[in-house]
Amino acid sequence: MKLYFFLYFEFFKIGLFSLGGGYATLPFLYHMSEQYHWFSPVELTQMLAISSITPGPVGLNVATYAGFKTAGIIGSILATSAIMMPSYFMVVMISKMLKKFRNNFFVESALYALRPATAAMIGAVSIRLFKDCTIRSMALNSFSFAKITSFLDIKAIVLIICLFIFSFYYKRDPLIFLLIGAAAGIIMHIL
Amino acid sequence: MGASFINIFLVFLKIGCLLLGGGYVIVPLLQSELVDKRGWITKEELIDFYALGQCVPGLIAANTAIFIGYKLRGKTGALVTLLGLTIPPFLTIILLASILTELAKSTIMNNIFWGVNIAIIILIFLTVKEVWNTSIVDKFTLFVFILMFILSIIGVSPALLIIFAAVLGIVWKKRKEGRR
Repeated sequence: MKLYFFLYFEFFKIGLFSLGGGYATLPFLYHMSEQYHWFSPVELTQMLAISSITPGPVGLNVATYAGFKTAGIIGSILATSAIMMPSYFMVVMISKMLKKFRNNFFVESALYALRPATAAMIGAVSIRLFKDCTIRSMALNSFSFAKITSFLDIKAIVLIICLFIFSFYYKRDPLIFLLIGAAAGIIMHIL
Repeated sequence: MGASFINIFLVFLKIGCLLLGGGYVIVPLLQSELVDKRGWITKEELIDFYALGQCVPGLIAANTAIFIGYKLRGKTGALVTLLGLTIPPFLTIILLASILTELAKSTIMNNIFWGVNIAIIILIFLTVKEVWNTSIVDKFTLFVFILMFILSIIGVSPALLIIFAAVLGIVWKKRKEGRR
């Protein structure tokens, strides 16, 4: 019973305090592994690998997995709902206020600048992911053109270019892009 | 197809299944499912909700979904989008829990997700192109875009950037109004 309470409490805390999403939850999770021994730091690293091959944000995956490992199905339901609960109430509250103040001067002007800022942040994410996918190691001090293939993932660059060209002709469903990516991942590593 | 609870739930269930490689791909998925295919929300609303979703603590993908759910059908709608989005990741972990560590090590899975992650880059990039016209409307918004892009690349926290941008917007509009 005590375990359930602590599980809920700890994941609720993550939901309440992790601002900035995604990897903002990581410091909390490392701290949790030290304090409660529900999972070891090594297991946490494994969980990160796992969440890169399963759907959903990292925080959600880790909550489900850690809850399941420590207290079975009930634990996973508790941890998952705990991490989501603060979001739900805060967003509903803000939405209610927005409804009232949608045409308020401050809300309007803030959103006017938030739109380009958000577009910029999404753009920066795509650049960062591009870098992560294409550059194997940052061995820039030993840079030479002969070595370029040793730290650039040429296959990744080829696939990016192909998908980019494909996007001129087709843009309706992201699912198609994901499927092509998956298929290309298998085929290009056999070749 | 109207935005009934069951329809909302099914659409978010699909989005939950496709939410691969972290939460970022939520934007292209929402753009395709809600804006392009169904017209439940506009492009502006999507970008507003995503921006607001970053100001609220918690997982951004979930926050964005809850905002949209509330807009579509109030409190219950918000709960429905949250459930739809959460159930697929939740079930995947539970059902595969015993073999997940093995799966994460397998070559074929890593190859598949190597390709999927590249597809996600393209999807996110296309989203920027999509939202460009609705968000960059004048010189000021272009300036904000460039500034925030640079700050974002050098690793300033998204939460800080959002607050900074909001303040910039208010200050700019106030000055403009004062001049009139």
